[in-house]
Amino acid sequence: MSAEAGSVIGESIKRIDARGKVTGETRYPGDIDIEGQLWMRIKFSERAHARVVAVDVAAAEALPGVVRVFTSLDVPVNEYGLVIKDQPVLCGPGGDKAGTDVVRCYMDMVAVAVAETDTIAKQAIALIQVHYEDLPAVFDAEEAMLASAPQLHPDCADNQVARYRIRRGDMAAGWRAADVVVEGMYETTWQEHAYLQPEAGLGYIDEANRVTVVVAGQWTHEDQEQIYHALDLPPGQVRVIYPAIGGAFGGREDMSVQIVLALAAWKLRRPVKIQWNREESIRYHHKRHPIKVRAKWGATGEGLLTAMECEVIGDAGAYNYTSNKVLGNAHLTVSGAYEVENIHIDTYAVYTNNIPSGAFRGFGAPQALLAAEGQMNRLAAALNMDPLEIRLKNSIREGSIGSVGTPFPPGVSMPQVFAACGAESWWRQGEAGWQLQAPVAPSDSSKRRGRGLAGGFKNVGFSFGFPEHCWAGIELQGSAEIERVILYHAGADVGQGAHTVLMQMAADALGVPFERVQLVASDTATSGSSGSASASRLSFMSGNAIRGAAELALRKWQDEERPAKADFMYHPPETTPFDPQTGYAEPNFAYGYVAEAVEVEVDIETGQVQLLEVVCANDVGKVINRQQLEGQIEGAIVQAQGYALMEYLVSRDGRILNPYLSTYLIPTSLDVPPRVKSVVLEYPDPIGPWGARGMAEMPFLPLAPAIAAAIYAATGVWIDSQPFTAQKVVAALRAAGIGEV
Amino acid sequence: MNVSMTINGEAVSREVEARTLLVHFIREDLDLTGTKIGCDTSQCGACTIHVNGKIAKACTLLAAQADGADITTIEGLAENGEHHPMQTAFWENHGLQCGYCTPGMIMASAAFVRDNPGASEDDIRHYLEGNICRCTGYHNIVKAVKQVADAAAGGA
Ligand code: FES
Ligand code: FES
Repeated sequence: MSAEAGSVIGESIKRIDARGKVTGETRYPGDIDIEGQLWMRIKFSERAHARVVAVDVAAAEALPGVVRVFTSLDVPVNEYGLVIKDQPVLCGPGGDKAGTDVVRCYMDMVAVAVAETDTIAKQAIALIQVHYEDLPAVFDAEEAMLASAPQLHPDCADNQVARYRIRRGDMAAGWRAADVVVEGMYETTWQEHAYLQPEAGLGYIDEANRVTVVVAGQWTHEDQEQIYHALDLPPGQVRVIYPAIGGAFGGREDMSVQIVLALAAWKLRRPVKIQWNREESIRYHHKRHPIKVRAKWGATGEGLLTAMECEVIGDAGAYNYTSNKVLGNAHLTVSGAYEVENIHIDTYAVYTNNIPSGAFRGFGAPQALLAAEGQMNRLAAALNMDPLEIRLKNSIREGSIGSVGTPFPPGVSMPQVFAACGAESWWRQGEAGWQLQAPVAPSDSSKRRGRGLAGGFKNVGFSFGFPEHCWAGIELQGSAEIERVILYHAGADVGQGAHTVLMQMAADALGVPFERVQLVASDTATSGSSGSASASRLSFMSGNAIRGAAELALRKWQDEERPAKADFMYHPPETTPFDPQTGYAEPNFAYGYVAEAVEVEVDIETGQVQLLEVVCANDVGKVINRQQLEGQIEGAIVQAQGYALMEYLVSRDGRILNPYLSTYLIPTSLDVPPRVKSVVLEYPDPIGPWGARGMAEMPFLPLAPAIAAAIYAATGVWIDSQPFTAQKVVAALRAAGIGEV
Repeated sequence: MNVSMTINGEAVSREVEARTLLVHFIREDLDLTGTKIGCDTSQCGACTIHVNGKIAKACTLLAAQADGADITTIEGLAENGEHHPMQTAFWENHGLQCGYCTPGMIMASAAFVRDNPGASEDDIRHYLEGNICRCTGYHNIVKAVKQVADAAAGGA
């Protein structure tokens, strides 16, 4: 059924969870208690790299009020990990798997104490004596790749947990054809998710004797799998429920408190609760990857790309988490949204003794695009070409072959998105093509203004051969007409508004008013797996699953079944991994496209950069809920602004030095750009539900390189190291002889 | 020690340890979990409540310091079953996503607009600096507060 007059698709339906959230009734994991619950605290590693020789829990267990201390000896299968099970649940001696007695970073867990009160559990933790035998540690990804570096994992000799190549075309011919060659080195550092709700959870045994964990996550069924694997239980013995979730952004994709809560509740058969504070949240969950890119690009005098060479090195930290996938996406994105025949890319994800890196909105693309769009802006400057013109010349379009040797999936809108961004911001189309209008110079002579542009793409859905899927169930109740619809779905509403959108899609697919739809959500006991709330995939995947289930349910309804119940598992077109030699792949089945233009003001005395205005053009395929969609764009831009200009996580020898919101600064209402313009484009994706693509990550991607371009336009200085703090900017200005010495 | 106060119009009295923070007293002893905790350093504003009509971050006070006080939390903001205009404005303007900052934002904004009807967008941005939101980018929050400020200035 298509969206027509009377359809709820595209309408700004108010979020279904708003009432509880404005009245304070909504409960997040930390707000839920069970009569008689115990409290848990975790003993984390006190070393960056060491063998745990012994864990002495006698004093802790002797403390009155302590119920039990769990160590490595208590974990049935002592390993977990979203992609590779390379992390012990509790590090310590006695396991039958090599390496589970080693801590590899400060966020490893060694023991957990369960007590009658939180205070006693905390005291118990202090009484646990851990005996370590220090091992040499490495904190730099490039050093970790050397043969002389300490090896972190038994089965990964060179610490390279992933390595990818692209080899296409004839590089020598490409460089010969180039009239201009630009080179750059781009560096990014960790970013903290800083979702406002710190980790918390509750474990208990439910009425069906399932060990149940109530927690905030992004994929109920994956949490369930990690738990039953470690506890060596049948899947049906484990249940995961998400109540309200206080933000995620990729930071809740991996385990935090889930497995240890389940372990304690299962062994003690009593409810157990845990609540992290902000310091624990920042210290003990993964971060956005620090990535270093070396890039060399060539182009003709007319601005056509002829050759591209890149090396991408990502710091995975002590465990893989999703590093092999994140660096896969960086590998795919580091050539930008451009076509070039001769291309040579090497990418590495490397273990170090730093905090693990993992998923964060954009999944490797923000780092890769800082390099790709930095290179494009350098080419434009070297050729004295307009930055929009040179992009349109090289942009991928319908039918374009990507760096991996296969065409982009149908529905490529990159040129339209670039053009819309230019037209809606400061570009005018004249005889000489697109031309950027310079900003008005500020009256204060210590201030300079500039405008910049960047763009890119992001996959929708899981990539590289992952068996992507999404489940939905529908029940139609009534007699003559459908009076009530129950939608079953596991998709996580992390704040993005997914639940409201799922119900809108169900209403439209069934042709019933929105008010008749009810949602039973985010519980492994009532739904099949919907996959993760990540990769900008939930609307796309769920929409297709809901349409499938709706069609089946309507058929049963017509056959007079009451209630009419059906479920459907949607599988998108298959993807393939990179060929290890050439990189040849069909990596993804859908993309979203984005471009951003920004204006900044640089204070050349202090180096302070102020973001004045952002124009974001985002091809979303089809708007499902405009108000929520614009909210996602505005939120992503401010998070990206923090990333570009201020967020600076300091880590020394693997230890985070600023694990507080008072020292790790994120944007407040005063920092954000007063003007944000969302240009929402709707070029339908041929296989998206109602034509929808994904959109939640895209506005994050190009902001940092757009700001870097604007700083260059204002001052003539390139800043290639994120975040662009005042300190770095002022140093670059002085090195170029600008401002007071 | 014993502390007594009025919370959302009701008199309460409890035995607490001297070092109990007000925010823990409200959340744990009284089970009013609408007031959130988002940080350890008085930075985020998720715990914002009204103490004797003025805003306060409940994580910066001891329960004992609030002895005898008249306290309003998000659960007590609605009157006679009617949402406070600020609650309605956040709802209508999509001034929330995950909602974890929302109770604190609403408590802070409600007190601000009561004292500053007709506040400008700039005033609002300055005032809300002590309340962090990681999801919305603040635009819809500012829009919601401005709507109530405008209505208040309209002399209703
Ligand atoms: S919890 Fe009180 S300011 Fe953050
Ligand atoms: S809505 Fe999530 S922190 Fe504000």
